[in-house]
Amino acid sequence: MTSKNKIGGGQKILVVDDEHMSDLMRSVLRKLEADGFTPIVVAPEGENITGDDYEVQTLFALETERPSAVLLDVRFGEYDSDRFKGLSILKSIVDFDGSMPVLMFTQYTQGPYRDTAVSASLSVSSSVDFIDKLASPEEVVLRLRRLIGSAPETIKIGSLFELDNENAAVYVINDGRRELIKEIQGMKLEILIELASAMYRSEGELVPFSRLERFSEGEDSRASLRVRIRELKVSLGKAVGREFGANELIFNVRNRGYRLVNPED
Amino acid sequence: MLRIFRRASVGVAGLGLLLILLSPIIGEPLFEGTLWYIEPIAYIGGGVFIFGAIWAIAFYQNIARKNQLGVSDDRTWSQVTQDYFDTFAHDIGRPLRRILGKQREARALLNETGELSSKMISELLEEIENQAPNFRLMIENVRVLVDLEDRTAVPAVEPVDVAAIVRNVSDRYRPIARERGLDLSWWCEPSDFGLVYCDGSALDHVITNLVDNATKFADKHIEIRLTRTESTFLVTVWDDGKGISESHIPHVFDRGWTPEFSARAEKQSSGIGLFIASTLSERCGGKLLVESKQASDSTGVIDHHTTFNLSLPLDNRSKVSGR
Repeated sequence: MTSKNKIGGGQKILVVDDEHMSDLMRSVLRKLEADGFTPIVVAPEGENITGDDYEVQTLFALETERPSAVLLDVRFGEYDSDRFKGLSILKSIVDFDGSMPVLMFTQYTQGPYRDTAVSASLSVSSSVDFIDKLASPEEVVLRLRRLIGSAPETIKIGSLFELDNENAAVYVINDGRRELIKEIQGMKLEILIELASAMYRSEGELVPFSRLERFSEGEDSRASLRVRIRELKVSLGKAVGREFGANELIFNVRNRGYRLVNPED
Repeated sequence: MLRIFRRASVGVAGLGLLLILLSPIIGEPLFEGTLWYIEPIAYIGGGVFIFGAIWAIAFYQNIARKNQLGVSDDRTWSQVTQDYFDTFAHDIGRPLRRILGKQREARALLNETGELSSKMISELLEEIENQAPNFRLMIENVRVLVDLEDRTAVPAVEPVDVAAIVRNVSDRYRPIARERGLDLSWWCEPSDFGLVYCDGSALDHVITNLVDNATKFADKHIEIRLTRTESTFLVTVWDDGKGISESHIPHVFDRGWTPEFSARAEKQSSGIGLFIASTLSERCGGKLLVESKQASDSTGVIDHHTTFNLSLPLDNRSKVSGR
């Protein structure tokens, strides 16, 4: 599968961190690549590299690479003068492109230094978020993805299905080929889009009944919804030749609403 | 304030000296032929001078000591401690980052090569990954504890996307929940929740502690719900754990209290998470309440659970500025 077909869709992510060679950062770079992003690492050459060198190189890369987002460290080097160099780089990035999403990679996600960082970013209108450096690569990429914010053209549901938002169609993936599931259209498709969009934003996000009621008919809206969900599961199951159980694919969470989960292969 | 104290100490000493010098002119002898023949005003002046001088010396010595330590006068004890703590947090984070980095490299290598590793190695790698959020929370808990000691500190006032905070905490704890066989769901109503004015950092920390607690005691499910009323927003963290007995409920937010404490068993946690969550909520002008059920009801339906309800004002600007 090419990176264009993955979540990242080949989008470039500029990585500005003096510890980009560390194992921890390598795991983040690997996850970015695995999800279809193209990481561009800012790595000034020469001796006695300072935070200023990173700042210059970052601006150059913004101009030449035109990334979709920046992953930026707050602290550069071990000297107090470079303690908040990332904030100065952030200011330069925002001056260059006010709409550039920036995820700041820092230990200061809480406490007074986070406030320092926030006040530095709030003075500008850019989309800035902070994440602890100990966060898992999955969490980093998820936050970055949300920060970029653009809804994907397609949402993958495990390795079995693909939802094509633009063409309003659901496909089953068979040996790498996409086959249209004709049965899923109209309200069933809309329910699936609602559930899949929530799952794309955050895997644990439940869609409450209040948001799904518009897809139901009759006096007993929950019963009507239950029927549609069951039909949807049957259609998806038929496409892959299996039957999804009550706690598989789409399930009711304690009568609060429904959640879509990635099916097992 | 410090300048006023400094001037006052010098002023008192000066007043004492002035009284001594003026005593022959303004005073009168009380008892001739006795020690009190000398002006009593001179005695009083002497006392005031000694008091003022001791005050001034102590004051200047304290300043000299602070200068030697590089501590500025206009910063509170909490700010100074926070500074030291941040250096410490960075230093403690470094070995942890290295360990996690190596672990993730090893895991990626095992995944790529498809080599069969012994069960213990896989479990070790998993364990290191799963303990990372605990370390993150521990470091932040110490930082917040230090901050809570500063009675003069006020909560931040900033526009906060509460739904994003709940989503982030949920994302952070999903792998841990999954590893423990738990299902973690979250949602908000209305779905387009919008911004509120509160202390985002404190809110993140309170919710993190509540969810962390739920992952330790849940049986199968954890739910985080975000709702609002006209003036407040509510974060509810529910778990289907075996519940807390009625006699323990009043102690849940006590510093250092854990269920094991009552059972006289080995402590599984420090017991500061819920204490911090409750104290921080109150500081932010909110309230954290707990409700729990242990037994099945009269119909025989098993419904043991624990719910933490956090309520905070939708807009803390007037509360904070009124302090």
